[in-house]
Amino acid sequence: MPSSLISIGRSGAAAARASIELTAQNIANASNPDYVRRSIQLNEFVGVSRTDFQQTSAFGGVQIGGIQRPSSELIQRRARDSGSDLSRAEAELTGLRDAETALEQSGLYRGLVDFEAALTVLESDPTDPALRSGAIESARQLTETFQFAEFSLSNARGLVEGEINVGVEELNGAAEELARINLELVNSREGTAGRAALLDARDAALRDISEEFGIITEFDEFGGARVRIAGNPAPAGQAGILLVDGSTANTLAATIDPAGTASFTLNGSTFAPISGAMAGRTSALSDISTRRSELDAIASQTITQANSAQAAGSALDGTAGQPMFTGSDAATITLALTSGDQLALAPLGAPAGSRDTANLSNLVAAFGADDGPIVRTDQLLLSLSSRIAGIDTTREGLTIINEAAQAELLTETGVDLDTEAANLIRLQQAFEANSRVIQVASDLFDTILGLR
Amino acid sequence: MTFVGNSTGAFYERSLAQMGTLRVSVERLQTQIATGVRIERGSDDPIAASRLRALTRLETRGQTEAENAARLGQDLSETANQIEGVTSILQRARELAVAAATDTVGESGRAAIADELEQMSDELFARSNSSSITGAPLFAGTAGAPAFVRDASGVVTYNGNNQNGTIPVAPGTEIERGVTGQQVFEFDVNGTPSNAFAVLTDLAVALRGGAADPAQAARDALVGIDAGLDTANRSQTVIGTRMSWVDAIQQDQDTRAIDVADKRSQIGDTDIADTIVRLQQTLTALEASQASFTRVSSLTLFNAL
Repeated sequence: MPSSLISIGRSGAAAARASIELTAQNIANASNPDYVRRSIQLNEFVGVSRTDFQQTSAFGGVQIGGIQRPSSELIQRRARDSGSDLSRAEAELTGLRDAETALEQSGLYRGLVDFEAALTVLESDPTDPALRSGAIESARQLTETFQFAEFSLSNARGLVEGEINVGVEELNGAAEELARINLELVNSREGTAGRAALLDARDAALRDISEEFGIITEFDEFGGARVRIAGNPAPAGQAGILLVDGSTANTLAATIDPAGTASFTLNGSTFAPISGAMAGRTSALSDISTRRSELDAIASQTITQANSAQAAGSALDGTAGQPMFTGSDAATITLALTSGDQLALAPLGAPAGSRDTANLSNLVAAFGADDGPIVRTDQLLLSLSSRIAGIDTTREGLTIINEAAQAELLTETGVDLDTEAANLIRLQQAFEANSRVIQVASDLFDTILGLR
Repeated sequence: MTFVGNSTGAFYERSLAQMGTLRVSVERLQTQIATGVRIERGSDDPIAASRLRALTRLETRGQTEAENAARLGQDLSETANQIEGVTSILQRARELAVAAATDTVGESGRAAIADELEQMSDELFARSNSSSITGAPLFAGTAGAPAFVRDASGVVTYNGNNQNGTIPVAPGTEIERGVTGQQVFEFDVNGTPSNAFAVLTDLAVALRGGAADPAQAARDALVGIDAGLDTANRSQTVIGTRMSWVDAIQQDQDTRAIDVADKRSQIGDTDIADTIVRLQQTLTALEASQASFTRVSSLTLFNAL
């Protein structure tokens, strides 16, 4: 009997030591965001024997069961989904903010207003060479502004495209990693530390994927994840496009056409993402393309207005006016006139040196009209910044939702250092108590041996 | 064993996020104070940004119109000077004609008067072709060439056109640039078109013996000179009225410029007092949360171990 007491004590001490080890592991990983708090399962160990239909049993102490990792699939999923939505808003915001900076910093509006002013002031003294040169320089400045705005907008677009390409590579990497984890999960044993670590890695990979795309996840009996990307259109009868199934990962590819539409191909189907950073980037990309077309339209309108005004007028020397700009859009607009004398301010047929400004007045009126380049540029900027302000508001809401989901997830899976400290004290006492049991057993044994 | 704990990670995340938000607003307020501008980028307040752009355009337009009005004022006062010169020439010519109209002036006296009249005709011609400070002809309408030309036989004809051209000086307001040479120098005498140059030259020729009765010719010329004076005076009045219009418009422009600047400031500028108070409030909140974070985060059971 004392020998069983010793083994009970030993099993208790071993269990306490194992628990302390686990507590140490939890504490060490307290700031690891992928780590899910573990606990150890302890089972009572009772030795049962049956002799001649007589059942006898003996206490055997405690048995160390498996390592338990709280399953938090629902909360994980909520955190992933809200993360996807937030990533979408953030990615779209980043792309559009770049576009906004490009348009605002180019000073296009200012350039157009200055050009209008330079033309208006010419009406006071149309033959003054200084004013004419001023108008020409202002026109040259305007062409450079258009080109700069277009250049910055294509830079903003290039940044988004780069992010899409990098995102696709990262996603393919994460998908392959997940497929490998799925395979290893099949081979791992329930309740081992290795399995818990694999599940952590699985959830981290799912989180990485969900930042790029909204995903629909199912788990098989081994804990392996089958991941589908929520896309439009979804294949018939399926919730999404299959990315990872068991140990196979399909490769995602992205194509961006010159018109600025990004489309993704996965497992034989082409789709547009619904959520996640990729959806935000796709949306930002198409938005930037629309703004670029509008910018081109404004440039084209400026060119047309100035050139038709020139064609309807005569220059300072009485000859017919030559086109003011060449090119057809914001990237190609170039000043064609070389001197202020070539500005055709007087109507066609006016003699040399005419101070008639009828033609100039028409141009100023058309340029400053409510459907003219100045007002259109203001509307372009207004609609872009309103859209950004709208997305920003959405993003603030999504941030709160996401923070709540993350906090809930951390509460469920994170390490509470106070609890671990309490555990440490408790387990230390348990270890000491079990040692005392062995001590008592030894004393009992000595007492029995000492009988005479 | 399962337990619902208060994850340490969650506590740190939450504190970090809260302090981060406070820091962002502190920095934003600080930027608003340092730059004096409330709106950093359009998306901060799209409508206000658009109104600011419209005000920028108004401001630029106001500056342009002020420049136009100033130039117009210069041109008009130069024109007024020249017309004043023209009037005094014609007045002197009238005095001479009246003197020549008496039979007591002898032939040599009339010749002297004719000489002076010819000189005055030259001066009149020079004045009719005077130009603004930027070199544009004052009395040629919108034509660029010299306003009046004199042919070999000394006949002066108008070379400009009858359009004055207008200058925009305020939204919806365009003021004519000046008066044409026709309006200043040309008129009808007894139903026949004539001009100031012809009246003076003809009188000079008549006084030199071109007419059988020079005294009568001088009396007849008075009608023409009076008509010339009337015409020049009328133009002078028009120019004077226009100058006072420009003055009034320049005052309007100043008022409007102040209005526009005021609106700009209301929409786009930082309200310093308000912003500083809000900055102080946010700073207090940030300091308090930093202090409480340190206190709370040091409360760990491990200290008791």
